[in-house]
Amino acid sequence: MKKSLLTIALLSAIYGIAAPLTALAKDVNLLNVSYDPTRELYQDFNKAFAAFWKTKTGDNVIVKTSHGGSGKQARAIIDGLDADVATLALAYDVDQLQEKAKLIPKDWQTRLQHNSSPYTSTIVFLVRKGNPKGIKDWDDLTKSGVSVITPNPKTSGGARWNYLAAWAYAQKHDGGDETKTKEFIGKLFKNVPVLDTGARGSTTTFVERGIGDVLLAWENEAFLAQKELGVGKFEIVVPSLSILAEPPVTVVDKFAKKHGNEAVAKAYLEYLYTEEGQEIAAKNYYRPTLASVAKKYDAQFPKVNLVKIDEEFGGWQAAQKKHFSDGGTFDQIYQK
Amino acid sequence: MQFKFSKFATVLITSGIISLPLAAHANDSSELEELRALVQQLDQQVKVLARKGEISEEETAAAKKTNPVVKASEKGFGLESADGKSVIKFRGLLQADGRNFSSGKNLTSKAASGASTAGYLDNTESAKDTALLRRIRPTLEGTVYGKYDFRFTPEFGDGKSQVVDAYIDARLDPAFKIRAGKYKPFVGLERLQSGSDIKFLERSYVSNILPNRDVGISAFGDVLDGKFSYAVGVHNGVTDGGDNVTSSDANSDKDYAARIFATPFKDADNALAGLGVGIAGTYGKVTGTTKDTINGSTTELTSGYKTEGQQTFFKYVDSSVLRSGIGEGVSSTGGPGASWLVHADGKRSRFAPQASYYYGPFGLITEYVRESQEVSVGAQNLKKTTLHNNAWQVAGTWLITGEDASFKGVKPKNNFDFDKRTWGAWEIVGRYSELNIDNDAFTFGNLGAGTGVTATAFNTLAYSPAGTASLQTINHYLYADPKASAKSAKTWTVGVNWYLNPEVKLALNYEQTKFDGGGGDLTSSTGAGTTNATFTDLIRNSTVRDREDERAILARFQVAF
Repeated sequence: MKKSLLTIALLSAIYGIAAPLTALAKDVNLLNVSYDPTRELYQDFNKAFAAFWKTKTGDNVIVKTSHGGSGKQARAIIDGLDADVATLALAYDVDQLQEKAKLIPKDWQTRLQHNSSPYTSTIVFLVRKGNPKGIKDWDDLTKSGVSVITPNPKTSGGARWNYLAAWAYAQKHDGGDETKTKEFIGKLFKNVPVLDTGARGSTTTFVERGIGDVLLAWENEAFLAQKELGVGKFEIVVPSLSILAEPPVTVVDKFAKKHGNEAVAKAYLEYLYTEEGQEIAAKNYYRPTLASVAKKYDAQFPKVNLVKIDEEFGGWQAAQKKHFSDGGTFDQIYQK
Repeated sequence: MQFKFSKFATVLITSGIISLPLAAHANDSSELEELRALVQQLDQQVKVLARKGEISEEETAAAKKTNPVVKASEKGFGLESADGKSVIKFRGLLQADGRNFSSGKNLTSKAASGASTAGYLDNTESAKDTALLRRIRPTLEGTVYGKYDFRFTPEFGDGKSQVVDAYIDARLDPAFKIRAGKYKPFVGLERLQSGSDIKFLERSYVSNILPNRDVGISAFGDVLDGKFSYAVGVHNGVTDGGDNVTSSDANSDKDYAARIFATPFKDADNALAGLGVGIAGTYGKVTGTTKDTINGSTTELTSGYKTEGQQTFFKYVDSSVLRSGIGEGVSSTGGPGASWLVHADGKRSRFAPQASYYYGPFGLITEYVRESQEVSVGAQNLKKTTLHNNAWQVAGTWLITGEDASFKGVKPKNNFDFDKRTWGAWEIVGRYSELNIDNDAFTFGNLGAGTGVTATAFNTLAYSPAGTASLQTINHYLYADPKASAKSAKTWTVGVNWYLNPEVKLALNYEQTKFDGGGGDLTSSTGAGTTNATFTDLIRNSTVRDREDERAILARFQVAF
């Protein structure tokens, strides 16, 4: 039914009279645009935050989430998907919100602790029970007959972490010889039969469709697959070297302001850093950054030799330009 | 390919045709392992192909959400973004007309003696039969950001080259929208009907008085589930039937327009569902200048009321009228000039009740307008008075092929297709319309002694009045000359429309117009053309007969998309 001015005026008048007589509680809608494998994390977190916010302010916060490949999600926000907060897979995708659309300030990464990454993760291998192909490290992925599942680095943040972890391993083993490293990556991608657009799609390919011998996965995604999607069917293999993945979060200032959600959006992200928020992250197999919670869940996460994006690749801007921009190393290798 | 692999693998795995016989007959276990590996490999390939198919479908579905859509339909051609928020359409209207006048010496296309521009009434020749392109209107319209519509329509028909519509709509709410630019002011019911949807070749006399198009801004909307619509607007202001240009206003006064229209039984399941009633009006103050060009509008009065045959039958005293009537024989270098010209001088209001009714294949539309216009004469603004003109019409339509009648166009149940023996939609139409000029418009008198009007201009005439004749005391028709203008026109029109399909229409109208109160030839030429005549009185009412009836057949071939 169409709203009319008269209707609006009437409702406004009624509300204006009735408002003081009722509780000041209001419904607040918040949109979190996130990357692929965070569905379970934010399902749990949103419930906890809603309860927290209700206690604190009396308002009912309803958090909606959108999931997809991190790069695609960033583009969607730039194109007008009015997210109040963005919780993406890597800092480069969040940078795009500033560079392409000026939706957030340049210093967005300094607004929260740990470079605005409340939790971390890394890249591990998920193999089928018994590890029939005997996969132990990155060089096993280049062998003939090994089928590797990873999403497309052009669209997936997780895939870019996979790619860079493999690159870092090859560099270490090839003494920094970039030509050999490219050959290594080339062989690895020749073993990839299908490229999904996001990490969750690759999990579906490997777990549900039964394709491939090994899935290059977020650690949290690998745990989820092993413990909840296919109990007893998979094993996690931790390579000798991987990469410290730091998924960042930010308030999308322009849209949050437009919706009048600045305060609740900020609180939502800050709640990720609280003990309760960190517990939820850890239970969903993300590595917590709060020391007390990290200690509590220390046994859950295997010890891995982790390289850092800033130290190994000069930060995400440089890594993106060299490897994933049009004509970058991925294009050179994958088009061969 | 996917099917072949799948079928092959299924056969291998489930039937055991290969594996069991081999197990039975081959002792070579390595060969068995190879076969198992082959089956697994084929199984993987099948799954990969299937998964690629899934991904491809997902990507196609995702692309549909973002790829623009190309559209082509009877509503035009266009491009639309996947979310529908950005739209651009190309539409068009072409009307090729024929006019045949079977009687009436009513030619208005000739230039008067001594005048450089056509537009005065020649009572010696019939209006010309002609073919013409009445409307040639390409239209570019669209939407940006989901709520902002735009429309741009130029006109190349009827010898024109001008902008017809150029406006922007902001649809802030169904109940509150804003329109700004050049557009049809929300006043006349018949005028608001699209030029491609009107049921007759020409609109009625009501549209001679109400504004055509103006430049300004309006707020409008629908409330109560669309049963009540309203519009209020402020515009530069136009003369009767006027089409404002896109340049700035000639004066600072503005015209205000308002309209309400109700369809109270809109959603009811009864015979009143198609009933709509409304009322509209305009109000403004306008003062014309005494400068005049033939058919010009600087007097801020109508350039002429026209018949359905588009022949001018009434106009206020301007230079063309002076030359053809009261100043007959005057050379271009002389004449009463500005001293006798009529112009708008004060308030102008229009009041227009209106109604429409549609029931099944039947349609009815009726509208009335009464205008009050303050006018005066000459540079000294003498003889100021208020003239009241009115017009009304009632028109009925019947779609004999059974389609539902509506305010908009007709969509035939079956498009015309000779091979299939389907004949499109056929409609019979009939209308009565009349326009009446205020009696006071034909007041015979003089400006009055002592009003300061000098005889200078008059004395330059080739046939200057003898002796002491003074311009201010010479009797003449003050506002409208019955030799050049009729007091009323009454028109019957009948016609048939053939809708070949929603885009193509053929129309044929027969109209007969009877004029009263002058507008015809002189029965004698008392005082006219007589050099050095004694100009105490110019041409008198008794010397003028009624304008001859106009009978015309009008035909149209129309394409609108």
